Amino acid sequence: MANETNKIDAATLSTHGKLAMFNEGLKKGLANGEKFTALMDQLIDTTDAEALLAAAQKLADFKLDSAYVTFPHQYKNADYYLIFMSRLLSMHQDEQATLKTRAHSEALYHVFDAISDDYTFLYQVVDGENGGAYYREQTTGENLFYIHLERRLLRFNSTAFTNLFINKLLLKGADVAQINTVLATLINFGHDLQDDFGFNVDFNILDVNNAARYELRQTNLDGEVLDKLFVLAAEHDYMLRNSPNGHGAEIELPGALVIDVFDAGTPENAKWVLTVRDTEQRVSWFDVLLHFDFMRDWYLNNIEALEIKADPLVFA
Amino acid sequence: MEKQNQPGLEKQDQRTSELTNSLQQKLDYLTTLRQAITAGDDRLIYELIDGDHYHQALLNEEPNPARNAQVDLITDVHPAISHYLSTKLIDYLAHEYPFFYYEEIQPGEFQIYFGNWWDRRRFGKLNVLNVAFEFSQEEFNKLQQTFELAMAHKRYNTDNIQKVSAANDELQKLIDAQDDRDAEKDQLRQQLKENGQRNSLFDSGRIKEERQQIIDQLTKLADADEQANNAHATMKDNEAKILSLSKEDTILAYEKQAIETSFKSFENFNERNRSLYVDYLTTLIGKAQVAADGE
Repeated sequence: MANETNKIDAATLSTHGKLAMFNEGLKKGLANGEKFTALMDQLIDTTDAEALLAAAQKLADFKLDSAYVTFPHQYKNADYYLIFMSRLLSMHQDEQATLKTRAHSEALYHVFDAISDDYTFLYQVVDGENGGAYYREQTTGENLFYIHLERRLLRFNSTAFTNLFINKLLLKGADVAQINTVLATLINFGHDLQDDFGFNVDFNILDVNNAARYELRQTNLDGEVLDKLFVLAAEHDYMLRNSPNGHGAEIELPGALVIDVFDAGTPENAKWVLTVRDTEQRVSWFDVLLHFDFMRDWYLNNIEALEIKADPLVFA
Repeated sequence: MEKQNQPGLEKQDQRTSELTNSLQQKLDYLTTLRQAITAGDDRLIYELIDGDHYHQALLNEEPNPARNAQVDLITDVHPAISHYLSTKLIDYLAHEYPFFYYEEIQPGEFQIYFGNWWDRRRFGKLNVLNVAFEFSQEEFNKLQQTFELAMAHKRYNTDNIQKVSAANDELQKLIDAQDDRDAEKDQLRQQLKENGQRNSLFDSGRIKEERQQIIDQLTKLADADEQANNAHATMKDNEAKILSLSKEDTILAYEKQAIETSFKSFENFNERNRSLYVDYLTTLIGKAQVAADGE
């Protein structure tokens, strides 16, 4: 539209006027390009965390082409998220996520040395008002987390982690150490965002804090689901106990690890949650799933009831 | 008239003194009980609330109802006495029967829970005044059978689970055989068609008979189809049944294990239950002795 208006206006102008307008358009386009390269410099070279975030934020929304100047070689907006993530991790000495370029194009993606190259990770920008982007594994389409640079928030997604790291990797033979290497990097990213920029981070199923209450999909948990754990645990020489306080059950696993499943709601509104307690606060529910086969079997076989809820605003 | 009654006065006095004596005995009884409670002398309380039982059980004396002459005075406060006595008794039981847990559902009335595992069973009541377990007969019988079946390496519900599992296997086969049935039906329908086209004046009886046979077979297959259609729901019900049976087996296995850990055998457990009153009171006497010796 703007283009069209310019043309009509140009027809009524003198030659000089036309040339001046053309030149003005070019200058603006070039200035836009200059601004872009300055931001690019900042994104790839700065050692200041805030400057890094500012560059990523601006580039994520940047429109490089203008009416008079277009650039044949360009990265996608989503790629700046990837660069930002890699730079932030490397500023914190984590080099596990390798940033790669596709041959003959400017598309970027992540691979992890610890797992197969078949799994490639990149960002998917959310169109529409909300903005932000999902960190997605390409072959499975699993959105591992959602990030919003401006609002400074990060939300991990239990479903994607379960599907990718357990159903796809662990159950197909990847070993726990490999998976942990990838998890550690993703968790580091969350901590870096928290520590450097004060991001609001929901680690969800990866939260190691003893106080973390993982909310279950089925708010009013069916007693049979716990019956199943009771029988299964006994078969593996563990005992599911009656919860000492309130309505629920608990099970103690090696390493003074205690899993509680209980109703943390009100008499009117049940809200069943799961907690994982260990003295060092180093174990998350996801770690339990990775290490204890029978707990994992129980979780996966009853996933429609037990699935840990992720932020419903971004993982509907 | 009154004067004629004079000779009776002596008798009257005697009756009065009997009455006052009797009342005094009651007062003494209640005073002693009150003092025993204040002093925390549980042994004496037990002797006071059922002296006849106490003397027979602990001192091997002959029955003598006179020992319990006053006990009716306190029936209305039995719940309160039971509540009072429960503290020390449950402390003792916690040590001797570490797998029992108690809930005071009404003042002085204690429900027994067996174990601290998921969905543990209510196992009956604790009679504090008699120092006796009053197990729920149904639950106790299950446990007894669990011990008996263990000798045959079976669990309480092994046979039941096997039966339901077998039923589910059958249903699964029925579902799996759907393709075979469909093929068979096609074939039968074809036969039916051919049968209809045949027309013989001499053989009509045989053709009719054959036709009926085909129809019967088709009906049978349709029944099987319907069963297969409903099989999923039945299988789900059966799975729920198996789960609840397995759960009960798990609970009974834990109970058995708990008893074996504390008592070695079910027989020892029962024996100890029978001598609980004597055992507990003996402990109380022993404690009183130690306390007296210490003074």
